[in-house]
Amino acid sequence: MDEIKLKSYEGKSEAIIENPDMIICRCEEVTLRELMQAIAEGARTVNEVKRRTRAGMGLCQGRSCSRLVRKLIADFTGQKVGKISPGTYRPPVRPLPLNVVASLEVNTNVKS
Amino acid sequence: MSNPDVVVIGGGIVGCSCAYYLAETGLKTRLVERGAICSEASKSCQGHLFLWELPEINIKLGRFSKRLFKQLSEKLQIDFELRNTGSMPVASTPQELETLRQTVKELNSLGVECSMLDIKEFREMEPNITPDIAGGAIFPEDAQVNPLLATIAISQGAKKFGAEIQTETAVTGIELTKDKSRVTAVQTTAGKINTKYVVNAAGAWSGLIGQMVGLNIPVVPRRGNLMVVEHRPKSIINHKIILASGYLDSLKGTSKFAVAANVQEAKEGNLLLGSSREFAGFDKSVNPEVISQIAQRCIKFFPVLAGMHTIRSWAGLRPYSPDMLPIISGSSIEGFYVASGHEGVGITMGPITGKLITQLITNQTTDLPVEKLSVERFQQKK
Repeated sequence: MDEIKLKSYEGKSEAIIENPDMIICRCEEVTLRELMQAIAEGARTVNEVKRRTRAGMGLCQGRSCSRLVRKLIADFTGQKVGKISPGTYRPPVRPLPLNVVASLEVNTNVKS
Repeated sequence: MSNPDVVVIGGGIVGCSCAYYLAETGLKTRLVERGAICSEASKSCQGHLFLWELPEINIKLGRFSKRLFKQLSEKLQIDFELRNTGSMPVASTPQELETLRQTVKELNSLGVECSMLDIKEFREMEPNITPDIAGGAIFPEDAQVNPLLATIAISQGAKKFGAEIQTETAVTGIELTKDKSRVTAVQTTAGKINTKYVVNAAGAWSGLIGQMVGLNIPVVPRRGNLMVVEHRPKSIINHKIILASGYLDSLKGTSKFAVAANVQEAKEGNLLLGSSREFAGFDKSVNPEVISQIAQRCIKFFPVLAGMHTIRSWAGLRPYSPDMLPIISGSSIEGFYVASGHEGVGITMGPITGKLITQLITNQTTDLPVEKLSVERFQQKK
């Protein structure tokens, strides 16, 4: 991580400068450094960060890290967190054994 | 931003590859994308480089493209997880096995490396597959990439050559000269862009872009559903496994939806389960009926999957071309080019499509013959 990219966070969140190796997405073990790199390269939504880093692709599907990712994007771009769209949630929402999926009786049209 | 020479419409792997090779030749290139880079079909797939889809021209395009992927990964110095995993179609009945044998024979005669496997040989290579199969085959040349990283890497490569990547910008119209003979500008939600050349790489939406210039591009969206399974500490498969008959049927299928079964492991260890082909307009909802069928079929071949958890399912809209051939060509409107209709082989053919479009625009000899891929095959003879 080059210092120039770290500097762009200065004055925004001090913890970032102090500990860039802290893990933000625990499921996929994605560090703050990797997330900052993705944002510095142009990712501006939770989905774009996810595609570059895998943050949010794990077992919990971004339930814990997506808020932090939104905060990082907001800090970097100087926007309010509410302006950063959260990631897309998709079925099955919670992990489901495949034999349960295989025996689904389909009577609802799940809209994603 | 000053006016570019060429505007590429669409930020999927095809559009990004076009922008990359166009910018590499020195043309001033601008890519416009309605959403973000890699936000539609290019993210809704398994990233399989499928090198045996007939007819022969598709095989040639695929093999050339695989070489370009290799070059790109070396040139860009970005790891997009290009791996030679090979694929193994499996037959569940003697009839399916016979059909597969014919296919392998035909492909062998076209120079495709592939061979038949009996049950024992198949299970030695894939110990977790059910013994209840008739046999299968192996295609060692098939490979895979991480389609998200590959598309983003190629867009970054285009930028390095000076291409401008303009996201969150939708195309609203295309201006032609008064006699409608050539392109002059692209209208977008972020203003007008004067340009000499336009490349329509809008995937499932490329038919709508065609309408803007009065060109018939009969590409329609065909939905594909996928599921991802939690990663495991130990792999359960070594190759990409494809249920042979299901896959071949789904290619040709004209029924409401066709479900195949295929299992592929991503580099991180997640399993990707697919796939389906379904006409549903521009609706990107996951179809629970299709997802359920994919699960049933995959479990049938890999009983060990039954207790594993799926963590996400999603669907994307792929650009279906009615004759199963992509469209890679110029058109009767000077300056208007089409790169679309790849459906299930968009990732496979992304780089070669970008290269051919660039060669067409710059009047170079194309690396492969493109006559059969012309959009003119869909225009009414006057």
